[in-house]
Amino acid sequence: MRWVRVVEASVIILSVMALFALSSTIATYLAITERSLVKAVLYSAIQSTLYALIYYLLMAPDIVLVYVPVSVGLYPAIVLMLIKKTEKEEES
Amino acid sequence: MRRLLGLLVIVLFIMLFALVIASGGFGYEVPPSKVRELARQFLVYAYNPFNTTFTVKSPEAVTSIVWDFRGLDTLFETLVFYLAIIGALSLYRGIESEKRAEISFLGLSPIVKTVTRITTGIIIAVAASIALHGHLTPGGGFQGGATAAVAPLLILIVFSKYFLENLGLRKNVLLALRSIGLLGIGVTAFSALIIGLVANNPAYVFQNQPKPDAPIGLPAYIGDSLISGTLWFFNFFEMFAVAAGFTVIFLLLGIPEGEVLKQLREESEEH
Repeated sequence: MRWVRVVEASVIILSVMALFALSSTIATYLAITERSLVKAVLYSAIQSTLYALIYYLLMAPDIVLVYVPVSVGLYPAIVLMLIKKTEKEEES
Repeated sequence: MRRLLGLLVIVLFIMLFALVIASGGFGYEVPPSKVRELARQFLVYAYNPFNTTFTVKSPEAVTSIVWDFRGLDTLFETLVFYLAIIGALSLYRGIESEKRAEISFLGLSPIVKTVTRITTGIIIAVAASIALHGHLTPGGGFQGGATAAVAPLLILIVFSKYFLENLGLRKNVLLALRSIGLLGIGVTAFSALIIGLVANNPAYVFQNQPKPDAPIGLPAYIGDSLISGTLWFFNFFEMFAVAAGFTVIFLLLGIPEGEVLKQLREESEEH
């Protein structure tokens, strides 16, 4: 079992953070290129959720507490309400 | 296919960029190994009974910064939010939402409604805890207010806009609540000055704790509970201002589009 090495906790946390950050970039790219506006909002909400997790891991609980209701609840709700008032597809 | 290619390019670029930064390619180390001097001072002065010049008497460094060290910034942030809501209200000026008495058929299924009845209470309790303990634990007025605003949003989606209005949360009531919140923030900002004027002592606008040249300030403790002077009041009033502000926007956006257009047409025909 020589190949098993003890990994520091901070390395695991930073790796998870990097993974979240990379996934959030992918979600942002998908949100920008998506034609359907409803799906774009969903991608954007995924990005926000990942950001909230990153803030938590960065030990910024004050930001997490404001980010969770705003980004997961209020912001998608407002944008979805606005989309309902316009069109569901982006014009080419 | 082009989308996938773009994604691949972006991911590769970020990974390379991260590798360069992590290996010290820009000449500095991330994450930094030491706390910066400014951050260290905030941490030292946030609750420091031995330094009466700078202390806030609040163990929560972030709230100390937000409402004391850089309190004016936060005041103007609140004003920006206030103006944003004024803008939204002016777009919907003169548009009245119709009143409905029979609303039990509206909204989602009874299961969702029952769950929402329970969770709404929990959300309000959590929001109050976040805001009122903002000077002790992470959180504060804006956080609490934003959390509290989720409860009316849930009711609006699950029951209906009319249910919310029948509960008494009408546009004018919410505007009054928001105005009380903003007025409270304004009064709290001037409270030390008012006390100073009455007691014939020098004091500052936005003063919190007593300072060496302004011996009158707000008390850090009421009885045995720590309220950190102005911080508790700022958080309390900010919660109302933010929660009511968000809810007004939801109520206005919740008016069916057809109704808005109809009223706008009638208005333009009148002129």
